[in-house]
Amino acid sequence: MRTYDITIGSMFVALMAIGANITAIAPFLSVMGVPLTLQTFVAILSGLILGKKRGAFAMFVYTAVGLIGVPVFAGFSGGLGSFVSPTFGFVLSFMGIAYAAGAVIEKRQAFNRYVKASLAGLAVNYLIGVTWLYAALSLWAGEGAGISYTAAWASMLPFLLKDGALAFVAALTAVRLEGSYLRNTRWRQHQKQASST
Amino acid sequence: MNNSMIIGQYVPGTSLIHRLDPRTKILVIFFFVIIVFFANSVWSYSILTAFAIGTALATRVPLSFIVKGLKPVWFLIVFTFLLHLFVSRQGDILFSVLGFPFYEESLIQGGTLSLRFFLLILFTSLLTLTTSPIEITDAIEYLLHPLKKLRFPVHELALMMSISLRFIPTLMQEAEKISKAQASRGVDFRTGSLKDRVSAVIPLLIPLFVSAFKRAEELAMAMEARGYQGGEGRTKIRALLFRKKDYIVFFLFCLIMAATIGTRV
Repeated sequence: MRTYDITIGSMFVALMAIGANITAIAPFLSVMGVPLTLQTFVAILSGLILGKKRGAFAMFVYTAVGLIGVPVFAGFSGGLGSFVSPTFGFVLSFMGIAYAAGAVIEKRQAFNRYVKASLAGLAVNYLIGVTWLYAALSLWAGEGAGISYTAAWASMLPFLLKDGALAFVAALTAVRLEGSYLRNTRWRQHQKQASST
Repeated sequence: MNNSMIIGQYVPGTSLIHRLDPRTKILVIFFFVIIVFFANSVWSYSILTAFAIGTALATRVPLSFIVKGLKPVWFLIVFTFLLHLFVSRQGDILFSVLGFPFYEESLIQGGTLSLRFFLLILFTSLLTLTTSPIEITDAIEYLLHPLKKLRFPVHELALMMSISLRFIPTLMQEAEKISKAQASRGVDFRTGSLKDRVSAVIPLLIPLFVSAFKRAEELAMAMEARGYQGGEGRTKIRALLFRKKDYIVFFLFCLIMAATIGTRV
């Protein structure tokens, strides 16, 4: 890894911490009393901008920082205890999101590719998150006593609309950042030279 | 808020547990987690419970902090116990209250499961209560060192963890500043439909991302100007050192492990 890869990856970790608790800064981002988080949003951008490997690694670092007790997860939570939380699957899925989004965008860059990459990330998010939620609930509650797998999915569906919208905004943000600031950075120019030779 | 972002759950102190090498604490916790699953008798559980509670007391962390750390999982512990008590019906009927039967096997099963759960959460939370995130990061870098052979970027992981710890409060303030600056320019965050509000995120986030990228570039340049070229041959400002007390703790913990395995049935 080059030095810039390390520093920009760390910034994405910090951005994740802010995205998880964005309502502390922007209280208007609550939907019917439920605080919105921008974790999926930042995770998608991490994959789109850093690429699959570096993006996923940044999300791995984010998970590690949260597990060692820094309150970077949603609701300023953190610590090894988060591991047993039924929603920890969503934290784990951030690595998958970044990897999926990065993998789609690394092949070819175009606006609809960005949207597809974001949606791929979102799919991974729900797949891992809901499966973990179901597994955790049936583990604590005992076999069969918990909810069914379909019910777990149904309970998450209301959030799909907002997450879909945010995934689209993530694609839009990535395109804007790539087209303006990032295009002129030394980092991107180095990458371009490296790939053209 | 910003302060808690840097130190996390850490409660500064000078107890023996605080002064142990972070690697000692991580290793002991790692083996404790494994050994908890070996316990299967009254004695082995008693030994582990006494050890965990004794250690918690030895940290001299105020009880309220320990309870606060357990707060998110109290529910799960109680829930697990009640569920086993009322839903699964195994073994003989022990006694019944108001015509509701309590089964022996369910009581034992629910009890041991929630005790296990309690022990795991209590003991692992002691690490973050008595060790600062930076110390844990240093210990992780040391302990994961062997993974370098598998081409896992251990040094980069630890470095990225410390850099992000440093920048979380900075970017947080930055985000607040940008939000106020955009509001003063007339961006309306407070009203409108969900779609309007979600798109109001863009004037907040694009400057935040650009600022983060700029900081990353400046930091990378500053690091390279000072000769940073990866983890090879780099020395540490905070050197980790095993002391006599660490060896004593390892020895005591080995006794606990032996006793737990010895009292299994």
